[in-house]
Formats: sequence, C-alpha cells, structure tokens
Amino acid sequence: MKNSHLIIAFALALGACKSEIKKEGITNDASKSEIQEVNVYTHRHYEVDQMLFAKFEAQTGIKVNVVNAKADELMQKMTLEGKQSPADVLITVDAGRLVRAKDKGLLQAIDSKLLTTIIPSNLRDEENQWFALTKRARVIVYDKDKTNPEQLSTYEDLTAPKWSEKILVRSSGNIYNQSLMASIIAHKGEDTAKTWGENIVKNMARSPQGNDRDQIKAVIAGEGDLAIVNTYYIGKLLNSEDPEEVKVGLRIGVFFPNQDDRGTHINISGAGVAKYAPNKANAIKFIEYLVNEDAQKVFASSNYEYPVNPAVEVSDLLKSWGIFKEDTLPLSKLGENNKKAVLVFDEAGWK
Amino acid sequence: MKLFRFTYLRRDFNRWSIYTLAIIAFIVIPILTIFFKLFSGPGESWSHMIKYLLLDYSLNSLYLILGCTLLTLVFGVSSAWIVSRYKLPFQRALEWLLILPLAIPSYITAYAYAGFFDYGGSLEFLLRNIGLTSSKFSVTNIYGLIFVLSISLFPYVYVVSRAVFLYQSGRLIEASKTLGASEFQTFFKIVLPMARPAIVGGLVLVLMEVLNDYGAAKYYGVHTFTTGIFRSWFALEEISTAVYLSAILLVLVFAIIGIERFLRGNRSYEISGKSDFKLPKLALSPGWRVLVFIVVSIPILCGFVLPLGQLLYWTVLTFSKVASLSFVTIAFQSLGIAFLTSLLTVTFALLVVHFPLWNRIKLLSKSSHLAILGYAIPGAVIAIGVMIPTLHLDKWLIKMGKQMFDLDLGLLINGTLVVLIYAYIIRFIAVAFNPIEAGQLKIGKSLSESSRLLGKGTLKTFFKIDLPLLKPSLFSAFILVFVDAMKELPLTLILKPYDINTLAVKAYEYASDELVMESALPSLCIIITGVIPILFLNRLILNGTK
Repeated sequence: MKNSHLIIAFALALGACKSEIKKEGITNDASKSEIQEVNVYTHRHYEVDQMLFAKFEAQTGIKVNVVNAKADELMQKMTLEGKQSPADVLITVDAGRLVRAKDKGLLQAIDSKLLTTIIPSNLRDEENQWFALTKRARVIVYDKDKTNPEQLSTYEDLTAPKWSEKILVRSSGNIYNQSLMASIIAHKGEDTAKTWGENIVKNMARSPQGNDRDQIKAVIAGEGDLAIVNTYYIGKLLNSEDPEEVKVGLRIGVFFPNQDDRGTHINISGAGVAKYAPNKANAIKFIEYLVNEDAQKVFASSNYEYPVNPAVEVSDLLKSWGIFKEDTLPLSKLGENNKKAVLVFDEAGWK
Repeated sequence: MKLFRFTYLRRDFNRWSIYTLAIIAFIVIPILTIFFKLFSGPGESWSHMIKYLLLDYSLNSLYLILGCTLLTLVFGVSSAWIVSRYKLPFQRALEWLLILPLAIPSYITAYAYAGFFDYGGSLEFLLRNIGLTSSKFSVTNIYGLIFVLSISLFPYVYVVSRAVFLYQSGRLIEASKTLGASEFQTFFKIVLPMARPAIVGGLVLVLMEVLNDYGAAKYYGVHTFTTGIFRSWFALEEISTAVYLSAILLVLVFAIIGIERFLRGNRSYEISGKSDFKLPKLALSPGWRVLVFIVVSIPILCGFVLPLGQLLYWTVLTFSKVASLSFVTIAFQSLGIAFLTSLLTVTFALLVVHFPLWNRIKLLSKSSHLAILGYAIPGAVIAIGVMIPTLHLDKWLIKMGKQMFDLDLGLLINGTLVVLIYAYIIRFIAVAFNPIEAGQLKIGKSLSESSRLLGKGTLKTFFKIDLPLLKPSLFSAFILVFVDAMKELPLTLILKPYDINTLAVKAYEYASDELVMESALPSLCIIITGVIPILFLNRLILNGTK
C-alpha cells in the first residue's frame, strides 16, 4: 500500500510541474486575442531589425513577437503547425527560401498598392506572395596591392587558367552560393553551370571552408587572389570591433562582375504573409512599414544592405564601391533552380 | 513450448513491467516517429547521394571517430590517472580545471581556435610581439576538427575514469603492489581493465557528441553524416533522404554500443562495498613531477585556457555592444530551463535504470537501453520527432475541446516549455543514464537483495539503500545534463517558445551572422554557468574520497 502512495505522490509532483508550465502557455494564448500584435518568424537576427521592430511598436501600438531561427527550420515549423500556426510574417535572407515557402503553400497573396508600387517587379513574387526588403550583391574581392582589377570581368572568367589555385569561395552548403549557381543555371542552362562549377573547383586555392569573412581574410593572407563574397560582409568587416579585421577590409578592392552582359548577381532579404496568419492586417502593415523610406534608410545606413525602395539612397560606404548594373533575373528563378543548384554542386565536386 | 513461454510471461509480469513499458514508450515514441518515416522509401536524391557524397560522409565520420577515440582516451585517461595517483603542485586546482573544457560548447571552441590561428588572429599578434613571424597554420580542416572536438570532449572520459580510480582501485592497487608488480604493470593489468566499462561508457558519450556535432564540422568545412542530414533535410527538402542518412548513423551508433556491450561481456565489476580505503598518493622525484605536471597542463591549456583567452579578448572588444538588460534576462532563462531539464532528466534516467531491474521480463529489461538512443540522434531530428506526435496530440485536444466544450483552443503544448523540455529529456537521458547505471553496477545487487530478503519492499529498499548509495552518481548525472542543456542548440532553436531565449541561441545567432566576436559574451556566460556546477561536482567527488 505504502508503495503505491509514494508512486502516486511522485507522479502528482511531476504532473504539477508540467501543468504549471502548461497554464502559462494557455494564459499567453488567451491574452493574444485582446492585444494587437504580429508574430514574426524571421531568419534575420540583426540589432537593426530589433530597433525597427521597436519603432513599429511605438508607432502603431502593435506588439511584435519574434521567433528567430533559420528559414528552413521556420518553414518546417509552419508546415507542422498547419492551420494552427501563429506565424503572421515569414522573413528570410534569400529569395530561394521565399519561393520554396510559396511552393509549400505557407504564404498568401496580399493586396498592397504600396508594396507593388515601391518594389520593382523582379524583386517580388508575381502573385504578390513575397516582397524584397533589402538587396545584397555577390561580388569578387581582391587585394588592391596585388591584383589589377582590369584582369577581372565575369563570374565565367573565374574559370580561366590564369586563376588556377587562386579562387577562394565558401562551401556549396551556403545559400548565397546556391543562389548564384541557380542564377547561372537560369541564364545558361544546367550543363554550362556544371562545367562552370567543375572549373571553379579546379581553380580553388583550398577546399571550401569558413564563412564569407574568412574568404576575404584569406585573400589578404595570400592564400588565394580572389574571393566570391557578399557585399554585406565587406561592410561588416570594415566596421568590425577587431582592428585587424578593419585593416583587412581597407586592403581589399570590390569588383562587380558581368557589367557588360547580364549584370552582377543579387540576392534579397524578403518577407511574406503567412497563409494562416491570425493577424493578417497587422502583417501587411508590418511589411509596408519595413519598405517605407525611414525604415529603408535604417537598413541602408546601419546594415550595409542596398535598399529596395528606389527613393532611398545607398549609404556612402556602398556608394564608394561604385554604382553597378544588377542582374534583373526574376528572383523567383533562384528558388525554382535551387535544388538543381545543390545537385550540380555535388556533381561538380564543390564541397 | 509456446504455452510455457506464455506462462512465464504471466509469472514474470508485474506492475514494474507496465511502468517500464510506459517510460520507454514516452522516450522512444519521437524516435520511432522518425524511424517509421524510413518505410516511406528514400528520396529521389538517394542515388545522387550514394554516387557523389556517401563515401565522403562515411570516411570523414570514420576518421572523426577513430581520431577522437584515440585523442580523448589519451587526454582523459592519462590526466585522470595522474591526478588521482600522484602528488602534484596545485593538486586540487588541476582536478577541477581538467573538467572545465566541458563547459565550452565544442562549436565555440572551434570558432575560438579558428580565430586564434586566423590571419590577423591572436597567434600572429602574440608572435609578432615577441619578434617572430609565423608561417600560416590552418586548423580549419579535418585534423583541426578532430583536435578541437577531442580537446573539448575528453572530460567525459576524464570524469568517469577518475571516479573509478578514486573509488574502486585502492585496495587492488595496494594488493598488486604488495605482490611485487611495478607501477606500470599495476596500471595496465589491474587499474585499466577494471576501469574499462566506465571509460568505454564515457567514450561512447564522446563519440555520440562527435557524430552529433554540426556547428564545428560545418565551420571547418568537413562533411559528416550530420552535416549531410541537415543538407538533405533542409537544402534538398528530402526528409526521407535525411532519415536514411540518420538510419546509417544509427547503425553506426548501435555498432559502437554493441561493441561496448560485447567487450564488457558478462563480467561483473562489483567490489564488496564501497572502498573507503584511501589510497596514499605517491610522491614523485622533482624531474618527474615537472614532466607529469606538464602532461596534465596541456589539455587544460588547449581545452580551456586558450579558447577562454580568445573569447575574453573578443568580449573586451564587443562588450558594450552586446551587454544589456535583456541579455541578463536571457541568462536567467537559460539557467532556469537547464535546471528544470536536469532535474527531470535525472529523475527519468533513475526510473529507466530501476524499473527494468524490478520487472522480471528479460526482454523489457534489455529494451530499456533504447531510451538512451536520443543522444545519438541529431538535435534537429529529435525536435521534428517530438513535434510530430505532440502536434497530433494538440490537434486532438483542439478537436475534443471543440466537440465537448465548444471551446476554441490554440496549440496547448507546442510552443511551450513542455515540448522543449520533453525533447531535452530524450536528448540527454543517456548523459544521466550512464553514470547512474555505472553507479548501480558498482553498488551491485547484493545489498538490495539482502534488504529485500530481510522483508523490506522494493521501494523502501530503493529509497533506503540504493538512493543514498547512488547520490554521487546522481549529482554527476545532474551536472552533466545541466552543462549540456546550457550548451544545446539545434533542438532549442526549433522548439523554444517565443518569449524565451537561451544563451546558446544568442551565441549562435551572432556566430551564424558572421559576428563571431559578438558571440563571445554569451559564450562566456555559458562557460561561467557551466563552471560553477562543475566545481560543485568536484567538491562532491573529493568529499566522497575523504
């Protein structure tokens, strides 16, 4: 008898712990219907975003709840949550994922004159399911003391024998590389893209490792001559807290490839309204807020990104690298060709 | 024949059988969920996977296993033996310093090492200041990865080996010496074979961590099964391919566990009672003392001092940018979650160890080892495994609420701490299970059997005999889980509630955003919160030896 009492007491104690936690969850849910709010699933975790969210809260009285994770994980989460998903807005840091979210039926079309007038058509979904917020360019960087930029021309030229064992680039697992490959597939077809990948691998100075910053440092360290990186990270490097990194940033030159043909490959950070958004109106307001001039100025000045709102000027730093011709390929192509890109990378032996 | 078996089953069946079954089900269901996905066939990229990637994944994972086994054994066993056998300067400090590398998440150690050896990194800076120029030395490759993982995980081996050396070996060593064996012979013929189950147990933990590692391998550009799982799951969007890779990984883990069981065989390592005999520590000649001191200092320097130094430097550079009130809140949330997780995990591990002991159906007792599988499965996979059944439960609750009470319920369980902690328990139960099982093995059955022969019930025996004797193991288990929960990342990322954040997630956010320097402050906090319980653990082991 005594034994079973003990067990019951034990089970109750365990249960008590758990139900307490559950209650918290319930009260959270209950309060949701009364307070104006918007639930944002975002892959961006920059300080500048938090600042903008706070401003939005102050202006509209709509509370912003943020879930930070990688886009893929957020999409898994939304898929599993289904109709019960609390997500209102999904924000990712590349176009490919937004297209995928659309294909999986996680987003909905929204009707916003503001968004369709401000954002150029290649930077948004044709059915208005997602919209770009900011742009980044994938460029070639070089050591100003060592390499003459006149030798540079296109992404394709990087496969030339003169760059044998000179190219630095991160792994193919990285989404920015996947999107670059997807753009080449879209423009030139899969076979050409595969040959390009194989030849880049032949010209690599080392097996792909580290992030974009590491590629830039490796250029200055003399491990290779050229690195393929995002403009965003050059800005980060130049504004680093580590004086050694700033020194590296000052020594590199930025080259925008393919200026005489299709233009430099760009990628975006963008947002869409979730299919089952419980606060749809707030979600639209939220995205509209992020592309208005004030918010875009903040993006441009403090996060080294190119604004999508044409009325907003790029920051001085970005200007110093030069004005460039962008590849105007509809970004939905990046998503459509993403999987092919991943497979082509493997076939080309790009680790 | 069949009838016989059935009558056995009826005879052997007791309530502990039900409890055993229940607790195993509780832990195994999410893993099974993933497992059943296996039957939906491999994804369309499976042949692509075999053709281009599988060999690479297999070889790299194999090299990692071999390399890390060798290095963690060398670091772990040698240091454990030295500090428990010889008189050394700063004896006490060394004992706990050797556990500290465990407080640094291995991906953070990996970042710190990459930063240290980087162009314009700390090594270059130091060398320049003493007038040397360095040749570039790259750590971001598989050898670097083996070293980094080993140096941050060897304490698992160290902790268990030292516990055995301290608690068990005394009388036997004395006997061996009395009978004329040399120090060398004693170590290899007596001490090491006796400590083997514990050491292998620690090693299995290390290898599971190695196979589960994602952050460090990805950063160093080494493709393993786990990076492959993430790639096929997320980049190729083929869960089935990811599950197939997971299955191969599981086979690998089963093989490792199987080898351990096979090596242990039917040998029993019971010693009559706990050895309260205090082995006198040997004094060494000054030359040896210096040498031995250097040997134990190396893992401390490489595993703790160097990464810590790098992180401190980064923290100085970025402190004002990162530190804030919300940061303090995050720190407290992390601590609270880790505490609750450890408490529940240890409780469950205790049940998983003991229910099968009390139930008489052999098959069930054996299957309890299924419960420790969670540690071998990548955190992200467990997260999905937990999410699928709990969502079903949630949806069922919503339906019932609608039908029975006409209530519109939201998700009651998902998005709360319950699911997160449930997943933690599955993930970490092995961490708690191993020391508790080893402790139970050490205590042996004789005491509790006598107690029951003398007429005390199962539970009374458990609370009066087993539990007090298990105390050191329980505390070790608690602390190991606590430190692990503080460090856990992929699972937390997916399952954490909105309004809660952890230090590990914060550190990851910075690091994955190429702000490695900014990740130093949250990393330091993880280290500090990990260090305090470790010191406490050490006190406990020391008190046990007095």
